[in-house]
Amino acid sequence: MAKEIERAGIPVAHICSIITISQTVGANRIVPAVAIPHPLGNPRLPPEEEKEVRRNLLRKALAALQTPIEEQTVFS
Amino acid sequence: MSYARPHAGVHPVTHLWRKITVTDLGFSSATRVENGKLLIDKGELTALLRSDPNIKDVQLTIARPGDPVRIIPVKDVIEPRLSRIPGYPVFPGVLSAWDPDSDGIPSGEIVSLCGMVVTTVGSIVGFQEGIIDMSGPGARYSLFSGMHHLVLDISVKEGTERHEHEKSVRLAGFKASDYIARSSLDGPLSSGTLETLYNPADPGFHGSGQSGGRKRVPGIAYLYMLQSQGLLHDTYYCGVDVKKMPPRRIVPTEVLFGAIVSGNCVSACDKNTTYHHQNNPIILDLLRGHGVDWDFVGCVITNENVTLGDKQRSSTQAAELIASLDPDGVIVSKEGFGNPDADLMMNCSKIEAHGIKTVLLTDEFAGQDGASQSLVDSHPNADAIVSTGNANEVIVLPPMERVIGDDRVITELAGGSNKCRLPDGSVAIELQALIGSTNQLGFERISSRFK
Repeated sequence: MAKEIERAGIPVAHICSIITISQTVGANRIVPAVAIPHPLGNPRLPPEEEKEVRRNLLRKALAALQTPIEEQTVFS
Repeated sequence: MSYARPHAGVHPVTHLWRKITVTDLGFSSATRVENGKLLIDKGELTALLRSDPNIKDVQLTIARPGDPVRIIPVKDVIEPRLSRIPGYPVFPGVLSAWDPDSDGIPSGEIVSLCGMVVTTVGSIVGFQEGIIDMSGPGARYSLFSGMHHLVLDISVKEGTERHEHEKSVRLAGFKASDYIARSSLDGPLSSGTLETLYNPADPGFHGSGQSGGRKRVPGIAYLYMLQSQGLLHDTYYCGVDVKKMPPRRIVPTEVLFGAIVSGNCVSACDKNTTYHHQNNPIILDLLRGHGVDWDFVGCVITNENVTLGDKQRSSTQAAELIASLDPDGVIVSKEGFGNPDADLMMNCSKIEAHGIKTVLLTDEFAGQDGASQSLVDSHPNADAIVSTGNANEVIVLPPMERVIGDDRVITELAGGSNKCRLPDGSVAIELQALIGSTNQLGFERISSRFK
């Protein structure tokens, strides 16, 4: 999906839990997520802290989209 | 790092495996084996299983090879066994307390009932349980189709939480298996075949190795990956949830005693049922050729977890443990598919970084036409792979005269879909839905070749 969207000329930030898979598949901007069963949150955290985790992931992804890159890059 | 140690006195740990073949099943007033037929006291077994407060009802049914029967949805398959070693139980740590590190693994005899299994079914918990067909085209893909089944169809009380539901069904299978073995095998046994299995010597042990004085044969280790992702995808070693346990060495024949059991409600084709663990063909073949064709230097079990950090930590520890055995080569088997492919590749690359060759056993999810990428992850050093088949391949299963369980769930199984029912009552379903069809321990017959 990431590759097809980029083929159409739109940059993609791939948020994923297991970045080695994302690297193998060929995503260019990779943002590490939390865990496979809950990539975008952490149910063990209190709601306020979890919200912060989610906000940070989104900020990181938006920053990745605005960063020029020459090769596959992990934004951790 | 903890090691399962041999019990003091005997080295290496040696197990005598007696197999009693069962040729038929029936119900009777006392559980026993008579002229090769296993007779089961239905009332006594039902009462035992219903002592679990979560269990509302248990239906006991017999299925035989060749019967026009479909068993669905299957949760686990178990071979009844009895340990004849005083104080060392089957399913150690599961049905009774057992710590392999403080108690050690004693040598002695284990007896199994061959040709029959206890099979648990019940209302669907995880959407990914599977099918066993006792005849027809589906039977070609499972060794379980050639066995006699005592099927436990278990329903739990309303409101039972899903993990509690899974646990009750899982334990019911072990209790039934243990009950049958204790009732039918606990006495003088004259019949059956006998096999002696010698485990690898402990690292650092300088006793009489079996290969002493012979020409050097390659040292082979085995890395045994166990599904442990939570969400009803779990495996237990001596009762411990393996996702909460670091990788460790085991005494290979511990598996004969049910030290590793399944708690998996995942895709049927490549989950290891408890039967697969009890009869792990990689362990058995490595033991049978040990000291002659190769030196089996040891077995390490490891987990498949859900965060990148856990995967990295476990693969590093597993590779270090394997390297400490100083093997020339390592066989790595995987359980499940998808993100476990990442664990497989991390294990492979980190072992190869120690200068040790690896061979990987995996199935493939290459699409129904076999043309898609078959694993989600790869590595340049993963250059020796044995495929156990493409789980996306579609097979048409005709309707069966009799269903044990509930075949309405067939469209919900992984490998099924809401379009899989054909007008004549057949189902067109991926191999994925058949229990054990692409088993990654190499139990079945299908494979694939690189073109």
